[in-house]
Amino acid sequence: MKKLYSSIFFLLIVLTTVVAQEKAGNKISVSFQQATIDQLVNELEARTGYRFYYDPVQFDSLRVKLNVTDKPVAAILDLAFANTAFHYAIVQQQVFLTKSRILKPGLVAGFFGGTTSGVAKPADVVTSYIDEAGEKVPEATTENKLYEIGIKTNEIKQGKATIAGYLRDIKSGEPVIAATIYDPIAKTGASTDQFGYYSITLPRGRRTLTIKGLGMRDTWRKITLYSDGKLNIELQEQVTSLKEVKISADKIANVRGVELGVSRLDAKSIKQVPTVFGEADVLRVVLTLPGVQTVGEASTGFNVRGGAADQNLILLNDATIYNPSHFFGFFSAFNPDIVKEIELYKSSIPEKYGGRLSSVLEVTDREGNKKKFTGTAGIGLLTSRLNIEGPIVKDKTSFIFGGRTTYSDWLLKLLPQEYKNSSASFYDFNLDISHHIDDRNDIYLTTYLSQDHFKLNSDTTYGYSNKNANIKWKHNFNNRLFSVLTTGIDRYNYDISSSAIPIDAYKLSFDVKQTTLKADFTYYLNKDNILDFGLSSIYYNLDPGDFEPNGKASLVVPDAVPAERALESALYVGDKYDITSNLSISAGIRYSLYNYLGPQTVYNYAPNLPKTGVNILDSTTYKKGQVVNTYHGPEIRVSARYYLADDLSIKGGYNTLRQYLHLLSNSTAISPTDVYKLSDPNIKPQYGDQLSLGLYKNFKENTIETSVEVYYKRIKDYLDYKSGATLLLNDHIEQDVINTRGKAYGIEFLIKKTTGKLNGWLSYTYSRTFLRQDDPNAGETINGGNFYPANYDKPNDVNFTGNYRFSHRFSISLDVTYSTGRPITLPIAKYESAGSERVLYSERNVYRIPDYFRSDFSMNIEGNHKVHQLTHNSWSIGVYNLTGRANAYSTFFTEQGGAINGYKLSIFAKPIPFVNYNIRF
Amino acid sequence: MRNKSNLLFIILIAAVALLINLRCRQPYISPAGSSATSYLVVNGTIDTWGDTCVINLSRTVKLTDSVNSIPELNAVVSVQGNDGTSYALTETGRGNYAYPDFSFLTSSAKQYRLNIVTSGGKTYQSDFVPVKNSPPIDSVYYTVNPTGIQLFSNTHDGTNNSRYYRWDYDETWVVRSYYDSYWELKTIPDVTVVQRSKPDQIDSCWISGKSSTIILNSSAKLSKDIITDNPVGIVGSTSEKLTSAYSILLHQYALTEDAFNYWQNLKKNTEQLGSIFDAQPSQIVGNIHCITNPSELVIGYISAGADSRKRLFVYKNALPYWQPQTPFVGCGLDTVLLADLHRLSAGAIPVSAVANGQGVVIGYDFATSRICVDCTLRGTNQQPSYWISK
Repeated sequence: MKKLYSSIFFLLIVLTTVVAQEKAGNKISVSFQQATIDQLVNELEARTGYRFYYDPVQFDSLRVKLNVTDKPVAAILDLAFANTAFHYAIVQQQVFLTKSRILKPGLVAGFFGGTTSGVAKPADVVTSYIDEAGEKVPEATTENKLYEIGIKTNEIKQGKATIAGYLRDIKSGEPVIAATIYDPIAKTGASTDQFGYYSITLPRGRRTLTIKGLGMRDTWRKITLYSDGKLNIELQEQVTSLKEVKISADKIANVRGVELGVSRLDAKSIKQVPTVFGEADVLRVVLTLPGVQTVGEASTGFNVRGGAADQNLILLNDATIYNPSHFFGFFSAFNPDIVKEIELYKSSIPEKYGGRLSSVLEVTDREGNKKKFTGTAGIGLLTSRLNIEGPIVKDKTSFIFGGRTTYSDWLLKLLPQEYKNSSASFYDFNLDISHHIDDRNDIYLTTYLSQDHFKLNSDTTYGYSNKNANIKWKHNFNNRLFSVLTTGIDRYNYDISSSAIPIDAYKLSFDVKQTTLKADFTYYLNKDNILDFGLSSIYYNLDPGDFEPNGKASLVVPDAVPAERALESALYVGDKYDITSNLSISAGIRYSLYNYLGPQTVYNYAPNLPKTGVNILDSTTYKKGQVVNTYHGPEIRVSARYYLADDLSIKGGYNTLRQYLHLLSNSTAISPTDVYKLSDPNIKPQYGDQLSLGLYKNFKENTIETSVEVYYKRIKDYLDYKSGATLLLNDHIEQDVINTRGKAYGIEFLIKKTTGKLNGWLSYTYSRTFLRQDDPNAGETINGGNFYPANYDKPNDVNFTGNYRFSHRFSISLDVTYSTGRPITLPIAKYESAGSERVLYSERNVYRIPDYFRSDFSMNIEGNHKVHQLTHNSWSIGVYNLTGRANAYSTFFTEQGGAINGYKLSIFAKPIPFVNYNIRF
Repeated sequence: MRNKSNLLFIILIAAVALLINLRCRQPYISPAGSSATSYLVVNGTIDTWGDTCVINLSRTVKLTDSVNSIPELNAVVSVQGNDGTSYALTETGRGNYAYPDFSFLTSSAKQYRLNIVTSGGKTYQSDFVPVKNSPPIDSVYYTVNPTGIQLFSNTHDGTNNSRYYRWDYDETWVVRSYYDSYWELKTIPDVTVVQRSKPDQIDSCWISGKSSTIILNSSAKLSKDIITDNPVGIVGSTSEKLTSAYSILLHQYALTEDAFNYWQNLKKNTEQLGSIFDAQPSQIVGNIHCITNPSELVIGYISAGADSRKRLFVYKNALPYWQPQTPFVGCGLDTVLLADLHRLSAGAIPVSAVANGQGVVIGYDFATSRICVDCTLRGTNQQPSYWISK
């Protein structure tokens, strides 16, 4: 049947061709002076009987000056269009005029199947139309439709072509981040970046792409790849199915990815972990990951692989968050309703990040819904939150707004008289706007504001605030090269004020500002290489303490530690190279350059003597903008992955990092009395390197992920304090700190089940962290210059986070944590002094507090799942610290009426019930 | 924020609307309480005020020991000047070593140190310290609160040189016996009851004590060297100290910055730990070193200079009516007839005479417990010379 159809068609064409050839060949003479296309065409049509087809608008700029005698139409048109963008094609009596594009009339060679005689030359399509602005990029939404990419040719060329585009959620238009696109036949894959953008180079021809995204339904797209082109893919959100067992995995990234020590969690996994007040908490979930340890119960500070709390770079949509906690750390700074996902880098830190030694925690907010207005609201016992999102211009511009606040003060008022002067409150707001300019340009504006206030029964008021704003411009140069230009301002400040005794009344304020400018480029060099390169610059402006009288009666002398300024710049380049189908490496180098800037007065100390007041030789004053001193050096980031089998891989990595900003804190958590200090001639930057190795294996169709990672890490010039160091308002802080060297090592095991009725993860970590201070020139050595355990050295750490879904509307979660108690310095003897019995403390950190164990339970109850209703409701009810174990937060010894008693301080020493109500609209 | 920041407790109570204490403090026995090493502890100041200067030497003990310290006996102690002078202190028992009067050490150009050679043969030395005299105390006063009285002091230094201060105090208060006794039981030569003479009264006694906390303040951050409303101490409304009259003798010491830091550190480590934001404890190093074994830890800080002193009296009639807590539990009287007096032991104290209808003494009432009638069990019945009655 098909053969008959083509035969008839063939016959018709042959016949008409023969007729046309007979009439062709008339020669005419014409003369034009500044003729328009219409004049030209009218004349030619009248004189020849040819019929012209064209778009007059395309030709409105054409003026023809021509004088010819006895020439065929083709020759006349050759002259008329010489040196212009216009082309013509003559098919029998018809003339097609085009601009820019060349029409090639006639049948392509090979049209007649295998019967072509002579040299079958593929039609050479020289022009690519795809890059033309305004061209509609196909939106691939269905699985079984065949999408054609590139310039369609009858015969598909050999070789490879690149496709690129965005992966988006079909419902909200949000980008799908870190999804994988994989061609199982070509064994080639790519993953989407933070904007949902991907680029993949594949052999041309018919291909099937499998697409897997976190929280999205696994899907595939069929394509015919003719040449380079674009394809945007829209995905369906995953609706958890209970009956059917999922055949494919959510992710195989842990086996396939080149990086080690990377954990990625989406909002859904975050929300099912029970927390103390029932509100989902981003940082609390991070603490359940292997290699991450909590600083303390009422705190969101965390230690990653033996690093201090300030060695984590915490980014919210690329903005640096200095204090990631609210309300003494009971809440984290991130609004759980608008967080899309988090990513923690413990080992392979991408070249584009720097400035902190231990880890990078990336928190990414959702993009606002580009299609319709939606929102959520949540009510808890202490906090309420609201978020609204929607399109400003449908499918182009959207916003998302999130806000949280507390109303705990009314509760404080119910308490006995002696507490009535206490108060505590916080709020935070996020507002993000994204605008899609065209297929090559997107603009993102993200802002964050948080404010905390508290007063503890005393007359002293504390307050702190994070303020962040940044703009990102994403530009695609072409399918293979795109760039992101980011500029932003991050600010953290706190103040403490007191007015109890009028002559002592004071106000102390502290402020860190950083202005960031960076340009990141990604270039898909070829199928095997992805290049990342870019540069960044951060300008720091610190006001490290401003002490002022509060009120007229105050005799307080205004005191200000001079402002500090510095510029931290970096240039980086990295390549992800698939050497063979089994072996991939990612190698990068980051060169960082740090300038400490004036105006500044710097003390010069006598060499080889402790930095103390008596050893100051003189001081040097630097003018504004003058470079006081410079530190610089390369940072290496290398990792490699080798497949041992399809679901088994081994990875190794080495990286070095530099940190120029130090946090000085006498407590282990980040608290609003901490001081940030920039490296200067007397305080060296911190330097760290880490070697790690990992084995990854997936089971049961990739539904169970397992991994083992080991690491060894060294830290240089980490700051510890001399006994009795003064940190606030100290303009010669170098006299109160000591440089320490550190080493940390550990092994981390993880089993994770991502799908099914029962899902969750279990992790075990064995790790050690030691510090050492043996420089006799520091004035004092700690523990005789031997290695001593860091405050956060907790060798054994087990975490279980599990969720079981009974039905779509009801699920339960259980969270179990065990860790070795952290090291402490204990009293070893007692003596009599100043009228009291007093204790003598041991060497630093030679004892440990009792081990930590806690289990939490929560039930999540959803309202009915009818799609068409105004609001969807859900409840979460649970108990924190189910067993009521009184875990020691710390131990301390205190003198009371002449006797010394040891005490163990516990927070949340009883089971704590909580309830939270959420509305989605 | 530092002390008893019970906010967590408050919030949580409210949050769960249950009256359960969620932040709890439980006794904790240190696994390290039995360190075998005993370190030398030096207490005292090279005080040039003009009375006896006492330096006390002791040794640390295990946390589990019943005594607080062991006195260091038979040491050779001297104060040495950086001009080569040396003044030997004499041992007066219980680890005390005394010098009658150092008021001649006035030169601001010279510095002094303490030199100790223990009976074990080890030599200890403090750093040389300057003589730093305290400016006078301007006033000592108190305010009345519902919970008791709060004592304060003020001082200033016109030369702006003192800046760092430490205080301690001696306190004395009057206690009354539950029963006044007008009689005395004599057993020699015969068992008789005689009228008690005035100097032997045992119904009113003076008890003395010392401060038990480290009191520090500094004007380093102020434009003038002024300390006002410096909290010295608190006497609770139910304390027996406020039953009649209370007196405090405040000593004020001017410190060097280094000494101030030592005391502050000691205070932080032994008095202020416990709240969530507090600093970690640290090993404290003073200015005394073991010369024989430089790695050996020595506890203490030696300063030199004259303190300044000021006394304050607080009388009952200036205070609200407060009910003191006394040790007089179950005090009662037993009557002993004259014929049975010989059965009493020597310490028994008759409170009052018991007469028959005709006014003839037939016996005496005795307190059921001696503490009810004899205040000398707890203090002295000799009025101190400085005491001013009202």
